[in-house]
Amino acid sequence: MNNKIVPFLPELLRHLFKKPATVKYPFEKEALPEGFRGNVVCDAAKCIGCMICVNDCPAEAIDIIRVSETEKKFKMILHNDRCIHCAQCVDSCPTKAYHMDAEYETAAFSRHDLKIEYK
Amino acid sequence: MAILKPILYILVYPGLIFLMVYSTFCEWFDRKLYARMQNRIGPLHTGRSGILQPVADIIKLFAKEDIVPEKADKHMFSALPVFALAIICTTALYLPLWHYSEAPTFISFPGDLIVVAYLLTLPTLIYFLAGWHSNNYFSAIGGVRVLTMLFGYEIPLLLALLSPAVLADSWRILEIARFFQDKPLLMLVNLIGFFIAVIALQAKLERVPFDIPHAETEIVGGQLTEYSGKKLAFFRLLGDIEMVVGAGLIAAVFMGGFPGGLLPGLAWFVLKTLFIIFLLAAMRAATSRIRIDQMINFSWRWLAPLAVLQLFIVIIIKGMVS
Amino acid sequence: MEFKVSLGPQHPALHEALSLRMTLEGEIIRDADLKLGYSHRGIEKLAEERTFTQNIYLTERICGICSHSHTTCFVQGVEQLMELIPARRGLYIRTLIAELERVHSHLLWLGVAGQEAGFESFFMYTWRDREVVMDILDWITGNRVHYAMNTFGGVRRDIDELQKKKILDSLDLLTKRTEYYLSIGANEPTFVNRLAGVGKLSREDAIALCAVGPTLRASGVPMDVRKDDPYAVYNEIPFEVCTADSCDVLGRTVVRVKELIQSYKMIEFLLKNLPDGPFKVKAPRKVKPNEVYSRYEAPRGENVHYIKSNGSDKPERLKVRAPTLANYPATIKMLKNGFIADIPLIFAAIDPCICCAERLVQLDNPGSGESKVLSFSQLRTMANDHYKKVNLMKKEAVWPF
Repeated sequence: MNNKIVPFLPELLRHLFKKPATVKYPFEKEALPEGFRGNVVCDAAKCIGCMICVNDCPAEAIDIIRVSETEKKFKMILHNDRCIHCAQCVDSCPTKAYHMDAEYETAAFSRHDLKIEYK
Repeated sequence: MAILKPILYILVYPGLIFLMVYSTFCEWFDRKLYARMQNRIGPLHTGRSGILQPVADIIKLFAKEDIVPEKADKHMFSALPVFALAIICTTALYLPLWHYSEAPTFISFPGDLIVVAYLLTLPTLIYFLAGWHSNNYFSAIGGVRVLTMLFGYEIPLLLALLSPAVLADSWRILEIARFFQDKPLLMLVNLIGFFIAVIALQAKLERVPFDIPHAETEIVGGQLTEYSGKKLAFFRLLGDIEMVVGAGLIAAVFMGGFPGGLLPGLAWFVLKTLFIIFLLAAMRAATSRIRIDQMINFSWRWLAPLAVLQLFIVIIIKGMVS
Repeated sequence: MEFKVSLGPQHPALHEALSLRMTLEGEIIRDADLKLGYSHRGIEKLAEERTFTQNIYLTERICGICSHSHTTCFVQGVEQLMELIPARRGLYIRTLIAELERVHSHLLWLGVAGQEAGFESFFMYTWRDREVVMDILDWITGNRVHYAMNTFGGVRRDIDELQKKKILDSLDLLTKRTEYYLSIGANEPTFVNRLAGVGKLSREDAIALCAVGPTLRASGVPMDVRKDDPYAVYNEIPFEVCTADSCDVLGRTVVRVKELIQSYKMIEFLLKNLPDGPFKVKAPRKVKPNEVYSRYEAPRGENVHYIKSNGSDKPERLKVRAPTLANYPATIKMLKNGFIADIPLIFAAIDPCICCAERLVQLDNPGSGESKVLSFSQLRTMANDHYKKVNLMKKEAVWPF
C-alpha cells in the first residue's frame, strides 16, 4: 500500500514495544569472532633473529635484542603504543613465533606503560 | 497573611517550582519516547532510567563559561533569556490547573484565551531579537527565519483555538473546559482543529519538521548560536516550559480541562499533557525537516483552509444544537 | 545586499574540516569557493620512506570508509610492476570484500543523507542495519574497518564454509531492509521534497567538469570503471551499471540504492562460484624500475593510484587521486544559485570523503595573499632544502613525548 502520509509511522510505533538494539557496554559485552586481531604475542624461544618482522612492521613497533653472547637467544620488545594490529608480523615470521590474542581493552594513562617484553 | 497564599501559589504550585520540575519530566518523557521509536535506549544512567538527565544537562550548562560576543549589545543579549523565561512562566498561571465548581482557579477572567495566545507569541519575538543582537550572520538568518515561520503557523493556530470557544460561547478557558466536561461528545466536532493545533504547536516549539530556525546541519545554531552557559540554560528551560504550557492549553481547550479539584486535577493534567507530548514525539520521529518556503506553502495551502473549514463546521453544529 | 560568509572549517554539516567561502544574498548563494588543506597528512611523502609491504597499511589508512579501495588499487598496481599474477581464489575474495565495502559505504551514505535533511529516524535505522555488514566483515577479516586483507599475490586469509553460510543468510535480511528503505525514501513527502530538484548538474556539465561515481551516473552517463576497464574478476561477474536521469540529489540516492541491490546479487554470485586452490602466491621483495597507473571503482567514484618504482624495495613516487577531489568542481557549479538550506544535501550527495582528497594542488604564499602554482621539481627542491636542516634518520628520531 502506497501510504503517502507519514509512511514511517507504523514501523516506529511497532518499535516502542521491541527491545532496543543497543548493547550496554561495558556492562554487557559482545562475543568476539575467532580471527580477531588483538594484541601481538611472541614465543621468544622460536625466534631465530632474522629481523624480517622488524623490517616489515609498518609502525616500527618491534625490537629484537640478543640476550646472550654465546647462544642464539633473543628477546622481543613490543611497543604496543605504536602497534596498529595489522598482523603482518604473524604472516612474515618464518618460524611462526607470533600469534594474535583477543585483548582490546588496553588503554593506559601513559604511552610508556604500553611496552611489553617477551623473553 | 492573606498575601502569603498567592505567593505560595506563584512559587510552588502551579507556579515556578512545579513548572520547572514537570517540564524536565516532560523533556525526559519526550526524549525516551523518541529514542525507543528509533530502537535506541535514550537517557539511562542519571537517576533511575535516566529521569534526571534534563536536570543534569541544565546543571552542566550552568557550570560552563558564559561568553558574550565583543560587538554584540551586552545588555539586550543578557536580558533576553530572563525576559523570555518570565513571560512563559506568567502564561502558565492562566492554565485552569485546579478549580472547584464554585470558586474559580488562580487567575481567570473573561477573555483570558486571547491573553494567553498573545503571550505565547512573545517568546517567538524574543528569539528573533536574540538572533538579531548576536552580531553574527548565521544568527541573523535564524532570527529572520523565526519570524517568517510565525507568519505561517500563527493564523491557523489562532483559528483552531477559536473554534471550541465559539462552540462553548465564551472566551474564558475555564468555562470552555467546563462546557466540554458537561457535554463530552461535542469534543469530536473539533477533531480537525485539534490536529491543526498540534501541528502548529510543533511549529511554535521549533521541533522537526519545523526546526528550520535552529537547523543544526545548516546554520549551526541559528538564533541561539552565540549563547552559552547560563543564558543557553535559560533558553533550553524556555523550550521545555513552552512545551508544557502549549500542551496544557490544547488539553484545556480541546480535551475538556482538568476537573475535580487539587489532586484529581493534577492527575488529569499529567495524563492529558503526556498524551499530547506523545503525539508531538511521534511527529518528530516520523518526518524530516522541510525548507522555509515549503513550510509557508504548506501552512497557507493546507493548514489555514482546514482551520476555516473547522470554523464552518462548528458554526453549523452550533446552529443545530441550540 | 551581499555578504561574504565562510562555512567551516568546523561545521556540524561537514564531517571533516573544509572551508567553503560563499557570497550570499539573503538565502541564495551567488558565488562559492572551496579551500582545502585542513587535514593534510603528507601521505605521499611518507610512502616514499617505507617499503612496499609497509605501504599496504599506509594506503589503507588514507580513509576509513573506503580503506579497501585504496589498498586494492595500490596492490593491483604493484602486482603489475612485479609482473605477478595473483591467485584466482584470492582475487575472488578480494572482490567479495570490495563489494561488501560498497554495501556498507552506501548504507552509511543513506543515513548521512537522512541526517543532513533532518530525518534522524531514517539515519538510526540504516545504521542499525549496517551493523549486520560490519559484523560480517569482522568475522571474515578480523576487524570492522581497516580490513588488512590484501597482500601481494592474493589475500591473507581464507573463507570457510561456515562464514559463507552466514553471509548468504544475512543477504536476505539486507535485501528486505534495503527495499523497505527505498519505499520510505521515495514516499515520505517531507524527505522527497528536500531531495527533488536540488543540486542540478546537467549531463554536459557533468562530463565537462570530470565528475565521477554516482554523481556522474545520476546525470545519465553510464561510466563505471568496473565495466570500462575491468580489474580483479569483474569481467566474469554479471552486473549492470546503474544510472538515473533526474540529475539531482534524488537521482543520486536512487543510483546508490540500485547499486546496493546489484552488490547483493554480485556477492551471492561470488560466494556460490568461489574457485578452489591457493589464496595467495609468493611475491618478490624488490621491484624492477617501471611506472603504473591503477584504477578502481570506489563507492564514491573512480580512485586512481600512480606508482613509480626504481629497482629497490621502496617506491620512487606514489600519487593518489581520490574520487572526491574530482567531484569538487562539479559541487561548486551545483552550489551557485541554490539556497543555503540545500548546502548540506548538495555536499552530502557527492559523498565527501575529505581526508581522501587532501593532496597538494596549489601552494599559497601566506604573506602576500597571492597564490601561484609550483612545478613538481620546484617543490622537490624546496622540500629537500628544508629537510637537509632536520635530522630525520629513522632509528634515531625522537618520538613525540
